[in-house]
Amino acid sequence: MNAMCADEILVDMIGGLLATHCTPERIAAAEGSMDSSLWALLDKNGLAAVGVPESHGGSGGSLHDYAAIVFALGEHAAPVPLGDTMLAGRIAANAGIILPGGPLALAIARPERTTVRVPWGGIGGHIVTVSEAGVGMVAADEVPVTNRGINYPAEPWIDVDTSWVVGTATTGTPVLRQSFAEAALLRALLIAGALQRTVDLSAQYAMEREQFGKPIGKFQALQHYLAEMAGEAAAARAAADTAIDIAAVDASVDDGERTAAAAKAYAGRAVATVTRLAHQIHGAIGYTDEHRLQYSTRRLWAWRDEFGSESEWASMLGRSVAVNGGAALWSTITRWPAAL
Amino acid sequence: MVARLSFPPAALPASTETLRTDLRTFLANEIASGSFVPRCDTWLSQHDPSFSKKLGAAGFLGLAWPSEFGGHGRSQLDRFVVVEELLAHGAPIAAHWVSDRQSGPALLKHGTDEIKRELLPGMVAGEIFFSIGMSEPDAGSDLANIRSTATKVDGGWLLNGTKVWTSQAHNNHFFIVLVRTTPLGEAGSKHRGMSQFVMNLQARGVDVRPIRLLTGHHHFNEVIMTDVFVPDHYLLGSEGNGWDQCIAELAFERSGPERYLSTFPLLRALIDAVGSSPSDEAAAQLGMLVARLSALRRLCISVAVSLGNGGLPVSEAALVKDMGTRLESEIGEVARQLVPPGRDSGFDQLVGDAVLSAPGFTLRGGTNEILRGIVARELGVR
Repeated sequence: MNAMCADEILVDMIGGLLATHCTPERIAAAEGSMDSSLWALLDKNGLAAVGVPESHGGSGGSLHDYAAIVFALGEHAAPVPLGDTMLAGRIAANAGIILPGGPLALAIARPERTTVRVPWGGIGGHIVTVSEAGVGMVAADEVPVTNRGINYPAEPWIDVDTSWVVGTATTGTPVLRQSFAEAALLRALLIAGALQRTVDLSAQYAMEREQFGKPIGKFQALQHYLAEMAGEAAAARAAADTAIDIAAVDASVDDGERTAAAAKAYAGRAVATVTRLAHQIHGAIGYTDEHRLQYSTRRLWAWRDEFGSESEWASMLGRSVAVNGGAALWSTITRWPAAL
Repeated sequence: MVARLSFPPAALPASTETLRTDLRTFLANEIASGSFVPRCDTWLSQHDPSFSKKLGAAGFLGLAWPSEFGGHGRSQLDRFVVVEELLAHGAPIAAHWVSDRQSGPALLKHGTDEIKRELLPGMVAGEIFFSIGMSEPDAGSDLANIRSTATKVDGGWLLNGTKVWTSQAHNNHFFIVLVRTTPLGEAGSKHRGMSQFVMNLQARGVDVRPIRLLTGHHHFNEVIMTDVFVPDHYLLGSEGNGWDQCIAELAFERSGPERYLSTFPLLRALIDAVGSSPSDEAAAQLGMLVARLSALRRLCISVAVSLGNGGLPVSEAALVKDMGTRLESEIGEVARQLVPPGRDSGFDQLVGDAVLSAPGFTLRGGTNEILRGIVARELGVR
């Protein structure tokens, strides 16, 4: 098997499982919380700790397995914090923290901010904290919450004062940088999955819906929209895959951060184009509560803002490129994707 | 379930790295010695036979062609690396470009041994150059509407008709020309009855007339053929199979790194021009261009791997070209706004190259509108 690819059996398994359980009714019912029975099923199959070494209480598996699972979660609009749990678990385990089981959320306290937004922090379980002081973990019900709410797809978040986020391990700034980049990449992968689903739904609808006596997909304007959407989805996935490849080969923290930045910047940018065109193709029905398109598009609009927007990450990448100068750009880009 | 495009995970093999390093050294020496100044859009506009000959002598042309005909027997991905390095460095590669990208592969696939032995070694050496003979005055996006003809005569064929937008026909030696060998009315369908020929552009009866670009530059031509004699062994492939051969050739033509790297030398210069501590706004614009470039490069490598494995990723290639050509146009737009004219004449030259050649990016090799139609068909809606 190619070490740079995910385990195909695993990918098929998770895809089938999510397709069965992530029905519009189940997704709607989970809003404001999570789908506890789906969570239990995924956890029972060991999926909550993929990417965490078995020696640290995880399920093992490669970063490419992790990426394939996260993509599938995004694709199916899975109403569970599985992606955040896998990543938070890996960060905690790498800092020597024993995983408690159950859902994990990530509190990444960046030095320039006074509060930290914790996506999925509102459902209980534990919170893995990352700050300049290092990595820590605390039970969610012990956290002094300054604010709480839900994002567009009603995934519950909390805000926490950064002064409270203190690590117990002593790993510091590199871990903070790396964790923030990994969290951005996690959202980029979720976005890539949801973008693909949005394209699929739109192509399907364009073939079925008839106006003027023919499927609306026969109109060239819509064909061009769909081609553009398919391109954005494919490129968003490509950008995220490159970042995963780089992370998997133990490249420098700089390259890891740059490729994750490129992934989140690209994904965030693609959201505007793809959601705009998808809703345009679907017409009024796609804008209603009863149509399933909204389970993908509301997630896309929320995820692009979480763990850094596209302009924030594009700036980071641009500054990094500018510091190294024009001559270095080509040799940097040609290091990604990593040679096999 | 609807259809999706297929971009299998792809990376370049580590074996390409030595080749990349060798070529970078070669190019650094060429630039240092003043052999060329990096420019934009060099694969169409910078025709320099002596540079092509140097590349040939150094072993960088005909890379994936068999050694039997002078080639180097390496992989398509080796060629990919060579091409992307030449483009990224803004080297003058227009002379050998078409010959190396599509004419050579077409000869290898469809040519007789006689024509292969006659032409391929000179193409590998960077001494024989090809142009493309597809479009006509009434056949642009609707290529099957061509009217040029070939009529059988003793020992060969007589070609008549007019080809347009033939880049560098006034400088190059041959083109592969698509003509009707069966009249439209007798062919059964519009896509039948066409054949491809290799035609010597210096032959009697060939009239090459310039079509100047809006810059005043001359690389486009009209090629008028009046009873041009072409010997039998210059028929490429089988008579009547021209359309299918031509479409396969387009998959190679559409998918390469020239579809997003035409303005890379400007992006590189832009990064230096904005300096090491750009504003957040400027940094965001630069960063987004780099993010897009890197994502497209990965898609392009995936297409190259598929082509190398014998696949024909027609719609994936179309998609890469649509997205890539829009990106290379946008690099010019971002550059001109971040760095106003008048600071550095070399930089202004690159911006001018990019802005004035941009209209061609999204037209050549199939307009982006035609390409999106190809993608839409793959998705099942067309």
